[in-house]
Amino acid sequence: MNNTIIISILGLGITGFIFSIILVILDKKLKIDIDPLIEKVTEILPGINCGACGFPGCSNYAKEVVEKKDLFNGCLPGGKEVNDQISSLLGLSTVETLPKKAIILCSGSKDKAKISTVYKGIHTCQAVNLTSGGPDCKYGCIGEGDCEKVCPVKAISIVNGLCVIDHNLCIGCGKCVKTCPRKILKLVDTNQVSCVFVVSCNNPSDMKETKAVCSVGCIGCSLCTKIIKDSPFVINGKLASFDYLKAKSFSEKDADIAKEKCPAKTINKFNV
Amino acid sequence: MLKDLFFIFISAVLVNNFVLTYFLGICPFLGVSGHIESALGMGMAVTFVMTLSSAICWLFYNLLLVKFNIVFLEYVTFILVIASLVQIVEMFIKKFSPALYEMLGIYLPLITTNCAILGLSLFMVTKKYPFIESVVYGFSSGLGFSLVLIIMAGIREELKFADIPKHFRGAGITLITAGILALIFMGFSGLISS
Repeated sequence: MNNTIIISILGLGITGFIFSIILVILDKKLKIDIDPLIEKVTEILPGINCGACGFPGCSNYAKEVVEKKDLFNGCLPGGKEVNDQISSLLGLSTVETLPKKAIILCSGSKDKAKISTVYKGIHTCQAVNLTSGGPDCKYGCIGEGDCEKVCPVKAISIVNGLCVIDHNLCIGCGKCVKTCPRKILKLVDTNQVSCVFVVSCNNPSDMKETKAVCSVGCIGCSLCTKIIKDSPFVINGKLASFDYLKAKSFSEKDADIAKEKCPAKTINKFNV
Repeated sequence: MLKDLFFIFISAVLVNNFVLTYFLGICPFLGVSGHIESALGMGMAVTFVMTLSSAICWLFYNLLLVKFNIVFLEYVTFILVIASLVQIVEMFIKKFSPALYEMLGIYLPLITTNCAILGLSLFMVTKKYPFIESVVYGFSSGLGFSLVLIIMAGIREELKFADIPKHFRGAGITLITAGILALIFMGFSGLISS
């Protein structure tokens, strides 16, 4: 009886000991040298893996930054603070990142844009865009929420069949811009700007065609370009747009007038 | 001899499949079956660990436990062997395939507690297989596990685009799919009687 106890203890003990020795040796042999800087940089980064820097995630970006000693275009959502911290940690010169926000060039929610088809397929914008489903306006927001799904900070919601962006949450990573099959999302520079004007339409057709499919589409009347002095609005064919190169020099009061006078109520203003 | 091995192979892969007949290893079956790629990686890792652990557990069982008459320690010994093996496999994967390591994530250490692997060692002992049969049994059980995992991952990838009733989405439809798969695999029972 005593013998059994001793044998079990010895047997199991020795087995465990052998395995632990193997593990220790392998641990030493297979050790991977990870630069501690990479970990530090990863900690500084916001960690939302938005991909605005062009790398798959924050840890990949940190790895590239430390290895190549280059900030590339900097961390967009982190802004100045994060970039300064990283550059001082690595002894690099800091880069300026310009804050950007996504805007949508459509305001045709379900009650404003006409829908005459019934779509019963896969519910993604990508799929609807391949068929003749969705809104009658072939330039408008489909509203199946592809952009909502890719947004890393949940700034996008689909309200009444229209993509709505919360500009307080938007970090300007541009993932939605790449996803939208109709290319109606756009990134605008919001550096030192308090508000953004958007001509919320992307339909280049003339008044008759636009009116037939949507009540808030730009009809190309060009009123917004004429009614005020030095108008930041420009017209291109039958579609007006806001000239974002003038985003810092225009008069907000004048633009407000243009917004009020727009016959189709296409111009929207967002505070950022 | 070869015929026996073939029977063991078919039996472990299809008839007595670990996941769908014994219901062992359900955790990775539901957890890693989201994408075919990660399912393949997990399947390969489990197959590898199963083959290795069946060989080493057989050695420990017959050369240590039976010889010294301490068979009652089989559970403890097997767990010890499997845990160490998984650690070693993890180190190797981390070193030589970081991408696979990141893909498997938490599930790689979870192989340690994957009941399919402990179950395999215990079945192997109760079935009293000789050494080569044990290794083949371990390998084919791993293959069976991978097969089911990959089938499940394929179905789940398609399910993402299916129009599923609201209340069945997510875990619900996954469990229903698993149940139907298990029913299908029941069709293999009786193919080999052992």
